[in-house]
Amino acid sequence: MMIDRIARHVIEGGRVNADEALDLYRHAPTHRLGQLADAIRARKHPARVVTYIIDRNVNYTNVCVARCNFCAFYRPVGSADAYVLGFDEIFSKIDDTIALGGNQLLLQGGHNPDLPIAWYEDLFRAVKARYPDFKLHALSPPEVLHISRLNQVPVPAVIERLVAAGLDSIPGGGAEILVDRVRRLLNCYGKASADEWLDVMRHAHRAGLRSTATMMYWTVETDEERIEHMLRLRALQDETGGFTAFITWSYQPEHTERGGVEATGVDYLRTLALARIVLDNFDNLQASWVTQGGKVGQLSLAYGANDMGSVMIEENVVRAAGAAYCMDEIEIVSNVEDAGFTAKRRNMHYEILGDPIFRERDIPRMLALETARAAGDSSVPEELRNYPARSRAGKQLRLAQ
Amino acid sequence: MSIDGLLDRVAAGEALSASEVLELSAGHDLLALGTLADAARRRLHGSRVTYLRVAVCPFDDVRAGVVPAAAREIRLAGAPDSLGVALTAVERAKAVAGGRVVSGLSWADVARLAADAGVPPARALADLRAAGLEALAEIPIDAVADLAAVLGTLTAAGFGPLRLTVAAAPLAPRTALLLQVAELQRQSGAIRAIDPLPTSLDAFRPTTGYDDVKAVAVARLAAPNVASVQVDWLRHGPKLAQVALIFGADDVDGVPAADEAPEGRRRAPLEEVRRNIDAAGLTAVERDGRFQVVS
Repeated sequence: MMIDRIARHVIEGGRVNADEALDLYRHAPTHRLGQLADAIRARKHPARVVTYIIDRNVNYTNVCVARCNFCAFYRPVGSADAYVLGFDEIFSKIDDTIALGGNQLLLQGGHNPDLPIAWYEDLFRAVKARYPDFKLHALSPPEVLHISRLNQVPVPAVIERLVAAGLDSIPGGGAEILVDRVRRLLNCYGKASADEWLDVMRHAHRAGLRSTATMMYWTVETDEERIEHMLRLRALQDETGGFTAFITWSYQPEHTERGGVEATGVDYLRTLALARIVLDNFDNLQASWVTQGGKVGQLSLAYGANDMGSVMIEENVVRAAGAAYCMDEIEIVSNVEDAGFTAKRRNMHYEILGDPIFRERDIPRMLALETARAAGDSSVPEELRNYPARSRAGKQLRLAQ
Repeated sequence: MSIDGLLDRVAAGEALSASEVLELSAGHDLLALGTLADAARRRLHGSRVTYLRVAVCPFDDVRAGVVPAAAREIRLAGAPDSLGVALTAVERAKAVAGGRVVSGLSWADVARLAADAGVPPARALADLRAAGLEALAEIPIDAVADLAAVLGTLTAAGFGPLRLTVAAAPLAPRTALLLQVAELQRQSGAIRAIDPLPTSLDAFRPTTGYDDVKAVAVARLAAPNVASVQVDWLRHGPKLAQVALIFGADDVDGVPAADEAPEGRRRAPLEEVRRNIDAAGLTAVERDGRFQVVS
């Protein structure tokens, strides 16, 4: 009966509190949760349009001092397989992205102590000089915080300088679960506490940037903490309105220090549906097909998602942890249409750019996502010598150049 | 068509009409379809979901060493060249299986072997049954010319209860075939289970998640008189197989019997299948190849 009462409240447009969200998550049948989430999706997106973006997920470095124990991607400073992409490599990736109809890089990387803020500024300026209309959706809050600490520049000033260099928007990575107890257990409190993550977003939104928000669940958090995460995002969205979308995915355990097992498909659909219900001030929810696979990714459209995320082109982080799904534009659109929706391309601001690009011109099929670099490529970009290194290994590398 | 009205009828055990099933199958209201199929499944099975651990053995390599003790069924894989080779493989498998079910071959294999041997399929089936084969691995409802005749031949040869499969039919024709299965079941009562997801997979045009869970739900609603709707753990993977359980499936086939755990006990197949069933809010129960509960 309690579920029926909460369900009526949700259908009437009411906002759920923490207790109600917990009741729904723990006790509502999965299809019932889906129906509530789907009703909200239909209210926010009555035209039955499902969007996606063509962009490329580039990780500029895998060197990271944060050492989060859920991450299989990072390499410590001085590792044999550590890398920093050169500007020319990034330009080449942009060329490939544009050829596939893309308009943006999602650019994130490790907390590399040997990349000062000038490296980011020069990269962004160089990208904008070559590709004036190309967008840089770059640097999650912990990366911004890392740059702030490394360069002893306050966060608002970091954001101001990066925007001046060409930063367009901020991805919502590094949020994990915005509860400090969880962050300490995941060894990611040091990279950004919950308050620090939210503060970076607050500053970014105040500076006029839009961002996304994310949640990685199924590590050590309780149900209550998962809901607290959503409520903290909802509160900041009430304050700034700066989030364009929410993306959740389950922890990918393979090759990580933490290990363990992955959440199931039903867990994912329930969590997604709950997010749609709790995050009533977020317009857009993405389906995480890259972690759940194309099939559960498509089913997400019945459980509150209105967006298929990115064609992605390249992915390195969840692949390192065992997820290697791939969907090109043709397959994404086919999944959207098969589910009874109309597929439209969008930009990061969720402005519609048009119909699928493959219907306008020939696009090569993509049956596997690219990686940052070919296996065994340990080249060091020439321009790195222009930037002072902080670590001993970094200094030695510069001397060897 | 009121979903609430349909739900009351399904929960009461009433079969939906063919036109209602076809309309649900053609629509996009996946959650309504899932709710109805889940209600039908719960009426028949409550929260119970069975699973079967299978040792899949190449027909030309059946040895005790390749069949884990945990296997509840030995399923011969591959297509033997002749009826004689098939009979030898079945006899060897039966010797290893002891009291466990030996399954294998498709209807197409049987028809080919019989033709090559110059005997009618009924004769070949009788010989295979005598050698120890208890079930065909694939009886594709979309790849036989006369399903009623095939079922009749199989039951006459001592096979049954039967497990039906689907080779590749798209959803619309498959729905019509599933309605036909329900009618045949009314006449014969010989069908124990149906696996409605295609056994033939196309890497360039894979089925979608909607296609798959719809197929499972439609099978449950089109043929409510068939006890079990199956998903295959290996063929469809844990995520889809689990989601299918809330869209009407009640049985997980094809769980590997080799319970190797290089990633640790919690990621071994048995733990994974039980964890997934549990996480769907259902209760995992192991069965044998004759659909008898063993734990």
